[in-house]
Amino acid sequence: MKACFYLLLPLLLFTTACEDDDDPVSTEAEISVAFRGEFGDEDLAIQSATYDYPTGEQLKVLLFQYYVSDLELLPADGGDPVQLSDIELVRWMSATEAAVSTKTFTVPTGDYIGVRFGLGVKPELNAQDPNNFPANGTLNENEFWNAAARYVFAKIEANADLEADGTFDTPLTYHMGNDALFTTLTFDQNFSIDGSNDPRLTIVADVLAALSDGTNTFNISNPDQQRVHGGNQAIAIDIWNRLANQFVLEVR
Amino acid sequence: MISGTGWRISSFWKFVKSAILTASFILPDYLITALALGLLFFACQPAEDTLIISEPDAFAGIIYPADNPTTRAGLALGRDLFFDPVLSADSTVSCGTCHRPELAFTDGMEKSIGINGLIGRRNAPGLTNVGYLYETLFWDGRADDLETQAMHPIAEANEMGGSWPFVISKLRRHADYWPRLQEAFGLNTREELSPDHVGKALAQFQRSLISGNSKYDRVEQGLETYNETEALGFAIFFDLADDPDGAFANLPTGECAHCHTPPHFTNQRFFNNGLDLANDLADFSDPGRGGVTDNPFERGLFRTPSLRNVVLTAPYMHDGRMDALEEVVEHYNSGGRYAENRSANVFPLGLDDRQKSGLLSFLKTLTDTSFVNKEDYRPRRLPGH
Repeated sequence: MKACFYLLLPLLLFTTACEDDDDPVSTEAEISVAFRGEFGDEDLAIQSATYDYPTGEQLKVLLFQYYVSDLELLPADGGDPVQLSDIELVRWMSATEAAVSTKTFTVPTGDYIGVRFGLGVKPELNAQDPNNFPANGTLNENEFWNAAARYVFAKIEANADLEADGTFDTPLTYHMGNDALFTTLTFDQNFSIDGSNDPRLTIVADVLAALSDGTNTFNISNPDQQRVHGGNQAIAIDIWNRLANQFVLEVR
Repeated sequence: MISGTGWRISSFWKFVKSAILTASFILPDYLITALALGLLFFACQPAEDTLIISEPDAFAGIIYPADNPTTRAGLALGRDLFFDPVLSADSTVSCGTCHRPELAFTDGMEKSIGINGLIGRRNAPGLTNVGYLYETLFWDGRADDLETQAMHPIAEANEMGGSWPFVISKLRRHADYWPRLQEAFGLNTREELSPDHVGKALAQFQRSLISGNSKYDRVEQGLETYNETEALGFAIFFDLADDPDGAFANLPTGECAHCHTPPHFTNQRFFNNGLDLANDLADFSDPGRGGVTDNPFERGLFRTPSLRNVVLTAPYMHDGRMDALEEVVEHYNSGGRYAENRSANVFPLGLDDRQKSGLLSFLKTLTDTSFVNKEDYRPRRLPGH
């Protein structure tokens, strides 16, 4: 038996060292992070809802999406950020989808003072060929713009009724993204995670707020401003800045 | 709605550890040692018969399902079943009847003809690189993967017209297929044979249909260059005019690559590309994706087809209404017909004749003759033999 013990010991050590330890650990807890899409403070409904635009037109939204890089929690003790995910694609593209989707992460218990993420694909990933990643991975969602060797960070697509004739026959497509647009967003908000009654974090993005901040409204009637793709990002920067500034973190 | 990074936790080593610890209480020492060594040996071995099929470096690797790795026996079986009408009700129609290798696995028909001359619902889609399309399959996305896709045509009245119990009954009694099914899937008794095994074999064959040697691929690899017309078409396809400082700044954009995204020239999603006027979404005669999701706002949406080998896959669109690629280009150049759910990327393009010709020339560079002529993708024996 002794000989057998010595024979098995390395194997047992090896197996113990290699296994993924998913036993409950008292210093970790699961938290839910939800992403909610809105249009003018209403839940975003792809295609099925008709939305009023501030300048009198109406819209049906076909697509809203954005990449999130390095989604992190910021510890109150000033320690290293807790990374929840290095890259996420948040997308609403079907009339069958709910306005809210949720993902669960395991994080250390403790006090936190905020959440941080990068809007867009971070530069170290942005120039990488999607085919270097798994075919079903976040960076292989057919959002890589080969012509410019970069990802489209965010998209808003809609059909607009500009003439108030009941036909949504003016397409609007705003495809935004390049390294210069990548924006790090930090939300200062205190919360604690202890494994019981933990808050639910919700990241809210409003399509209308990206197009209009109440004072300045993107002119969708101007034919030169109905399509932003690839190289004409200068037109999109207006939308991008509003998009980046309108995110809200709810901690409830 | 959200896609993100994840990881898979293997339970294998936990199993090894618990097996050894349990065995240590009930087995003699020499057996424990043998067990440990045996498990270690087993863990280090790939599945004996698993085939590694080479893929182009430019593609993210095929995602093989854990419960259906491609094996030598399964692939050969799938290939023979694919071209054998034995799977149809009257043994007259095979998968290969509507998916002919020389036509990039389409059939040249507006809509496919099934048993007894019955006309199918839609145009037969090509199968080039179908193993890379890991989301949904069919024009309306009603199948989640190749294994479940195979369940549909065999039982479809207008296609192979059979019933699965009848097909399984035939295969259980088949002198050639039954032992090969046993070998491929480790079946012990005939009762164990189910439609899933047939679906798995057909999926293994279809995952082997890999095309990566078109002129487009060779240009991407730096081995060839486009001629002037092809280069013009490339610029239109990929909207190079969007770069205000680029050489093509004054060209129209084709808006093609939003949906026909390389390397497989499909984003695998669903769109209304403006084929039919629909002032009311209920007007669509074919509900498309809406027929699967039962959502009225998805009526008239169809899955973006791959454009690889597109020159060979006429006629075009889900109902085969367009005989020639020229018609397709003309359609997109026109912006299509109105419906409130028409893709926002479909609008009048303003291409002139030279530019349309360039676009067609580029589309021809997606043809891979080595793919359509590959012996491994053709029937190993004549159907019926």
